[in-house]
Amino acid sequence: MEVAPSPVQRALIGEHPTIVKLRSLVERVARTDATVLITGESGTGKEVVARAIHSLSARLNRSFVPVNCAAIPHELLESEMFGHERGAFTGAAGARHGLFSSADGGTIFLDEISEMPLQLQVKLLRVLEDGIVRPVGSDRAAKVDARVIAASNSDLVAAVKKGAFREDLFYRLHVVPIIIPPLRERRSDIPLLIEYFLDRMRTRVPDREWTVTREAMVHLWSYDWPGNVRELENMVERLVILCEDSIIDTPLLPPNLVSGTRMTEALIPATLGERGVNLNTLVRELEGRMINEALKQTGGNKQAAARLLGLKRTTFSAKLRRCGVIASSNGREDC
Amino acid sequence: MVVDDDPDTVSILARHLQREGFVAIEAISGAECVRIAQERPVDVILLDLMMPDMDGFQVCRALKEDPRTAEIPVIMITARDDLDARAEGMRLGVSDFLAKPVFRRQLANRIRAQLDMLAAGRATEAALSQFEDKSEHNSDGEKK
Repeated sequence: MEVAPSPVQRALIGEHPTIVKLRSLVERVARTDATVLITGESGTGKEVVARAIHSLSARLNRSFVPVNCAAIPHELLESEMFGHERGAFTGAAGARHGLFSSADGGTIFLDEISEMPLQLQVKLLRVLEDGIVRPVGSDRAAKVDARVIAASNSDLVAAVKKGAFREDLFYRLHVVPIIIPPLRERRSDIPLLIEYFLDRMRTRVPDREWTVTREAMVHLWSYDWPGNVRELENMVERLVILCEDSIIDTPLLPPNLVSGTRMTEALIPATLGERGVNLNTLVRELEGRMINEALKQTGGNKQAAARLLGLKRTTFSAKLRRCGVIASSNGREDC
Repeated sequence: MVVDDDPDTVSILARHLQREGFVAIEAISGAECVRIAQERPVDVILLDLMMPDMDGFQVCRALKEDPRTAEIPVIMITARDDLDARAEGMRLGVSDFLAKPVFRRQLANRIRAQLDMLAAGRATEAALSQFEDKSEHNSDGEKK
């Protein structure tokens, strides 16, 4: 019988050495009360990891309270987090507990912490240091025992250097750093993730079975996934819905995902335009593209590729060397 | 490390990478690449696919089979950008696959991405070792 995956295995799927180490770190940190700072691009699964930490901790049966610091207006964030007294500000008709109090005994997850206004950062630092929460407009302070897990999709070190984030708070949060890499940096895990999401769909629809063709899998593997694991998960669900039989093949994939069309399309403009063009660069781009196509058609046979382009073998080799290595000092990067 | 059987290509790439701030090691055969990777620390390997004697796939297989070199990210660079080549790269666990012509900024970005990944791995290891140190020094330490 197969053993069900643990919360950490579900949160960090993959066999890349960094992901394997991350799973060990998450398991270790979950057994402590240490403050954790999770960094990762949008869609890498920061909240899923935070929930896994909570569910493996001794706080498991208490609340996990997620707060998106970017989604709450700055002027409301303080009262949302720490609560307020009746009449503390216009519209505060009654006293209200804050999210920190709701997370008492449990975990508070502060997502997009870099968006927190500086004056609130001071207050958060005090809570982290003494565990005491003071509601807005109140003299009374209450002890709160909430484990803090913060997350950011931007580089907090850079924010500290710019003065947008307090250095003392950064070090207070950075007790255990968890850095979740983007999916394009661990491409080898893409097929595994696709299989995992398909398996999950199979449990939801037991009578159905889906297979990804080798060609479609290569395209999915080659794509850069700017929206990371979340984007891949949505894509698998979409493909399963679109697929009429049980085969997920290339025609089902959106055009931007089919490799080979990303880099070279649109490099050569159809018209001159007001700003003109650099003809030498364009000629080199076109040569590079044709050389690539010729090699593709001939399975890498340089002699045959030269013939296809009407070139002598020596001329072809010279062009391959010139165009085929590095094409342009102003090369685009589409990721 | 830049690997290509054409010495001119290797030196063009190496010069470009040095201008981008990387330290480039040059290798002009698959066998030389494997030997260097076994002997000294290498962060990323830029590997040409079409080489005589030992092609890029054979080199990649040799690197992945040796525990000393298995974790070094390999970026395959090739003029042969077809489905079979990509599928084989995927199967062998290459970290990235770039079709010639390679764009300068693109190449630097892809290398930096792999270096970021290495940095994330090292930061994770450092955080893990903190825990191990603590549990070693703490007589009431938690059970493993």
